[in-house]
Amino acid sequence: MVEPVVEVRRVWKRFGRQWVLRDVQLAVEPGEIVALLGPNGVGKTTLLRVIATLIRPQRGEVRLFGKPAKAIEQERGWIGLVANPPAFYRHLSGEENLSQSLALSSKPVAAAEVATAMERVGLPAGRPVAAYSSGMRKRLALARTMLQKPRLLLLDEPETALDSGGREELVEVIKSAASGGAVVLATHDHGFAGEIASRLVEMEAAR
Amino acid sequence: MRAWVLALRDLRLEMRGRAGLLSAFSFIAVVLFIMGIAFGPEEANLRRAGPGVLWVALAFAGSMLASRAWAIEVENETLDELLLTPGSREWIYVGKLLFLWLLMLVMGAFLLVLVAAWFYLPLSSWPQLFVTLVLGATGYTVVAAFYAGLTVRLRARDVLLYLLVFPLILPVVLAAVKATLGIVDPVADFAEVVSWWKLLGVFDVVYATLCVLLFPAVIEG
Repeated sequence: MVEPVVEVRRVWKRFGRQWVLRDVQLAVEPGEIVALLGPNGVGKTTLLRVIATLIRPQRGEVRLFGKPAKAIEQERGWIGLVANPPAFYRHLSGEENLSQSLALSSKPVAAAEVATAMERVGLPAGRPVAAYSSGMRKRLALARTMLQKPRLLLLDEPETALDSGGREELVEVIKSAASGGAVVLATHDHGFAGEIASRLVEMEAAR
Repeated sequence: MRAWVLALRDLRLEMRGRAGLLSAFSFIAVVLFIMGIAFGPEEANLRRAGPGVLWVALAFAGSMLASRAWAIEVENETLDELLLTPGSREWIYVGKLLFLWLLMLVMGAFLLVLVAAWFYLPLSSWPQLFVTLVLGATGYTVVAAFYAGLTVRLRARDVLLYLLVFPLILPVVLAAVKATLGIVDPVADFAEVVSWWKLLGVFDVVYATLCVLLFPAVIEG
């Protein structure tokens, strides 16, 4: 039997006295694209961060690639997270951000590969990220995902700030990531989720 | 290897942004100016105060840089990306430590020249002064880089950093000042300087080991 890529088992998470996730369960099978839907504040981003092992839940367990999340070390490099807005070093250029990010993840890539990825997402070379628009940052995040080739791709509102060309590229990247692993994305856009996801999960506010 | 990549990248970011270095160098200039006036103009007074001024200025300026080493990640919201890198997380601490250590050595050498000029410290014993600088800066950065990482997610991190670091680095500052005094004093016993070096060396090794072992646990959210 194939293990789910992600298993969230009865997870509870609170910030201060406010519960954000209450008894959440979710399993994501290989090849799946799961869209988390729901209004602001229901805990979509928190759930993504719990899955990414960046925050620990108060109760419950998360398993990734068949292992408890707290036991993974090398496998952390298989997780790709695109935050909203995507995080980059403002004083470095797009290419420098990509090559540094991959070198630190122990996946160094040749400059030519970085240049090809930049070209594919339509970004100019040599410009510092501080001079990028939000859409350009999203495109740079797509380029990073292409080079990183994660087995679990987590995306927080990936479609915002992208034009139609960027959206097409995004759909391609998501489909490619799902073919080699699984994708979980958080979005408000039901149309986009319906177009791309193999399963929609509607989240409700924890009470 | 990854630790060096991180340290060199942080250096590149600091050189382009210059926020931390400018603050640290301005602080040093102000401290030297005020202390120079306060202890001067008697040469003997200045010479006696010089080692203390050197290490206190370096320690405070070092705290600014330690805070800066982690502020880079907070300002760019890139801490998550570092935490998602594969393998155990000691290398992140080592990378930040190397970044801070290199800056401290450069700043320490610059400060040493300024203090020597203003406070009449003889630079003829520069190899011994350099050994003291390396040992003292290492002890300081080992502790400061650790606590700056520990407090990186807190709003009051800058204030907390001083409160946490200074009680711990008191032996480093004391030993470094005593060693420097011994080096610049022509009648002092050099064996005493060596004993302060040994203390600094032991501090460096013990704290470096502890911080490397504890860091992966403390950086988790």
